[in-house]
Amino acid sequence: MDNPSAFDTCPTIAPFLGYAGVALSIILANTGAAMGTARAGVGIMQSGIKSPDLVWRNLIPIVMAGVNGIYGLITSIVVLGSIAMPSMGGNNRYSLYTGCAHLAAGLCCGLSGLGSGACIGIAGDAAIMACGSYDVESKRSIGRRRGDGKKKSGGGEKLFVAMVLVQVFAGNIALYGLIASIILSQQIFYCGGE
Amino acid sequence: MADASSICKSDFCNAGWAEVLTHMSPYGFANFGVAFGLGLSIVGAAWGIWLTGSSLVGAAVKAPRIRSKNLISVIFCEATAIYGVIMAIILTNKIKEPELADSYLSANWDFNGFYYAGYGMFSAGLSVGLTNIASGVSVGIAGSSCAIADAQDASLFVKILIVEIFASALGIFGIIVGIIQSNACTFPVAAL
Repeated sequence: MDNPSAFDTCPTIAPFLGYAGVALSIILANTGAAMGTARAGVGIMQSGIKSPDLVWRNLIPIVMAGVNGIYGLITSIVVLGSIAMPSMGGNNRYSLYTGCAHLAAGLCCGLSGLGSGACIGIAGDAAIMACGSYDVESKRSIGRRRGDGKKKSGGGEKLFVAMVLVQVFAGNIALYGLIASIILSQQIFYCGGE
Repeated sequence: MADASSICKSDFCNAGWAEVLTHMSPYGFANFGVAFGLGLSIVGAAWGIWLTGSSLVGAAVKAPRIRSKNLISVIFCEATAIYGVIMAIILTNKIKEPELADSYLSANWDFNGFYYAGYGMFSAGLSVGLTNIASGVSVGIAGSSCAIADAQDASLFVKILIVEIFASALGIFGIIVGIIQSNACTFPVAAL
């Protein structure tokens, strides 16, 4: 163990990088999911007080944020399955090449999940409160113009569609990170063959 | 690679990251994993409990009926702490010392196996701990919203409880990853 070289093909520290990838993936993606869930949850509370029947539709940002956490879990488990134990003779089988690839996979999924989750929360919070206040406004104006006879336009529906579109685009960017991390996690080389 | 003029002259220098990471004891890594796993989970649970609890008692001033139902939010935060305790117990049982009692190990020991186990436990502890901080804060904010909404309109309690359930699922993801990581990590107790 004197002077361990970082330039061996399978050095002792290679599992450190692999496990760091696993940990970073789950930690960062779940932090993003938590930020999204918390922020959108406060928006649901605020709009649900005035418009209780809209709450079920407004759970969409919460679900999208939770899916980000699942992406982090998927990447962690895929990478974890490929971190090879040292062989029976005491030689390391897990290469530095694979370790760096797995670290990159963890960072890809984790950081993109972090950004996506924060984005879902902020955009979802604003959208939920907008849908809620539109509902309140339209109910208030129905009350004033009683006997108008004009059919209410589907403005609330269009606002909801816009909210869903924004949430889908915000969730897409975490999917890009997941795809990149799955591709990175396939870059495997073991010393001493499979 | 490195010529004599660029290498630090003191005896305490490390030549690179490989030396830094292999000059720290694997038992140190493993025990720090236990400590971070438990301690950071408790920090997350505590953060969530004070967020929920302060909103709960504040809203209950005007709406005392919400007191007992909204304690479930506090219990969700407590579950986050329990995940940390589970992880700490699992990891502590896996930290085993070598069977012989000499002052150093001879060359025919599986040093790579020691470091593999140590790094794995460190990563498992950090995964659980930091995920539970995120989950605990999120459950706390959701629970605080739940209490305030329940005080306004009792039908909102169940709807916002769903947000809390999604938030506490994040802590479950963390402990799943931690348990799978710790499965493969065993310290060698005998020479090769």
